[in-house]
Amino acid sequence: MSGADNRLLIDVGSTYFKLCTPDSIEQHFRDFNRDILEDLRNKCGDTLERFGKDEVYICSSANGGLSTLIIGVTQSFSLKYATNIAFNAGINIIDTILFQNIEEYSIPSDLIDVVIIVGGVDSHSGLFSPALYDYVGQLRYSNAVFVGSAQDAQQVSRNIDHLVVLPNVIDDRLHIVEEHLKDYLTNLYQQDIEGKEDIKNLYQITSNQIFSTPYIVNRALPHIESRVSVANPFILLDIGGATTDIHYSKDLVDENIVTENEYDRLVFKRLGVYKSRQSLVLAAQANEFVYELLMHLGATENIYNEDSDKATRILMQLAIFLVLYKMSPYGEAYISLKLLAINSIVLTGGITKVLTVEEIQTIIAFFYRKILSSDHNPVAVLDSNYDIWTLGTKV
Amino acid sequence: MKVVTGVVGNDIHVVANRLIDLSLRARGYEVYNLGVNTHLEEFFDAVVETGAEVLMISSLNGEAEGWGREVRLLKSRYKTLDDVVLMIGGNLVVGSGDPEEIVARYKNYGFDLVCHQVDLNTGLDMLQELVDQRFPA
Repeated sequence: MSGADNRLLIDVGSTYFKLCTPDSIEQHFRDFNRDILEDLRNKCGDTLERFGKDEVYICSSANGGLSTLIIGVTQSFSLKYATNIAFNAGINIIDTILFQNIEEYSIPSDLIDVVIIVGGVDSHSGLFSPALYDYVGQLRYSNAVFVGSAQDAQQVSRNIDHLVVLPNVIDDRLHIVEEHLKDYLTNLYQQDIEGKEDIKNLYQITSNQIFSTPYIVNRALPHIESRVSVANPFILLDIGGATTDIHYSKDLVDENIVTENEYDRLVFKRLGVYKSRQSLVLAAQANEFVYELLMHLGATENIYNEDSDKATRILMQLAIFLVLYKMSPYGEAYISLKLLAINSIVLTGGITKVLTVEEIQTIIAFFYRKILSSDHNPVAVLDSNYDIWTLGTKV
Repeated sequence: MKVVTGVVGNDIHVVANRLIDLSLRARGYEVYNLGVNTHLEEFFDAVVETGAEVLMISSLNGEAEGWGREVRLLKSRYKTLDDVVLMIGGNLVVGSGDPEEIVARYKNYGFDLVCHQVDLNTGLDMLQELVDQRFPA
């Protein structure tokens, strides 16, 4: 077998893995007691045997990616720019610290994969004080990178061990410069994926690089119209087992971030329907509108404790509502989207195998009516055959 | 000397903004222009990022009135902005009003220099005078 169309595409998620061949697509619930490769071989051994190592393309979002702590001097520039770059590099877990208040923040007990320190244009200096070094000195981290004022780089370097210094993410017009930090984080993420024992074993069946799934999905978006009928501007929701990814058109933000990307990415960690089910339920219980939404769906709060198909469907519907809510001006995300300008809401991932268009559309209509007091009703588009993921793999 | 400037709120008067930018540069200032439609917090954050000594906010549609009330509270949340010269200029009210009363009101909001319907060059002369006093050579 050879040629561009004879490929086996595999996506390893936190809950499912999917396989796509030129003539079929299959999805399997993961067995967490087994190594991923062993699980794959057990469930799809016949399919794997039909392809050579150079014909197998794998991406993975399993294990959640890197955890990141960003220390910056303002919310509108340094923290926002670094957060934007980190999300677009495929990072899921991002915590931020406003440097002027650093003494008020507690020290995270978990190991942090990468600490990013950022602040100031290159013509400014003296933005950081010993409080930074005291704080970072108490952290447990694997990597630290400085992407702030070039004048401060040496001073910060002297006080933080093994600090990598990259060009500033803020230029002299206060615009974002993303390439250096994005490349650095993408490479770290790549090394992290490849270093994980489970993923490392997958190189036994492929000779191609294993990419992160968010990177693959983002790469497909400029070409999405070739596979799915969408009207711009749109958002894409990938509600997974552990986290929810939102890829959005830049037309939907009024932010001061000017980049060449047409689409940005945002992640809501711990919002998923399997691994993160408990935190999804907690988020639902904390939202004052969910009680009314449950009535609208003909359910009660008892559904949270049920283990049934109906409960899964309702939780998925709640997840859609909560994601839209979080992206609205009431949601306290680091950006808010112009939701009234959205024409299509594209859904991908396991959710498309469970919910119908009607079940999704009723949630969208409820959200716009109750939260935004509007009759606007973007069209729900289901990527049921994982066309976006396969497109991203082939681009 | 560094100046952060821009048009506050939902105000798209870009021509005045461009003229201010050019005039400041002609007088030797290093200008960070945030452009139109700028939120108050972005102005203060830009001052922190750049180390600017002057924050010059402009407004033409009168929206500054609403935003101006927030200045003192917002500035109090920053730990490094005590010496920054806060200036506002343009058309600072909707309709008309007593200029003296308008200037007093904005100074009460926390601005050091208020130029309501004042010619640009006159306003910049006033700024220079204040800068010379606050940051003597």
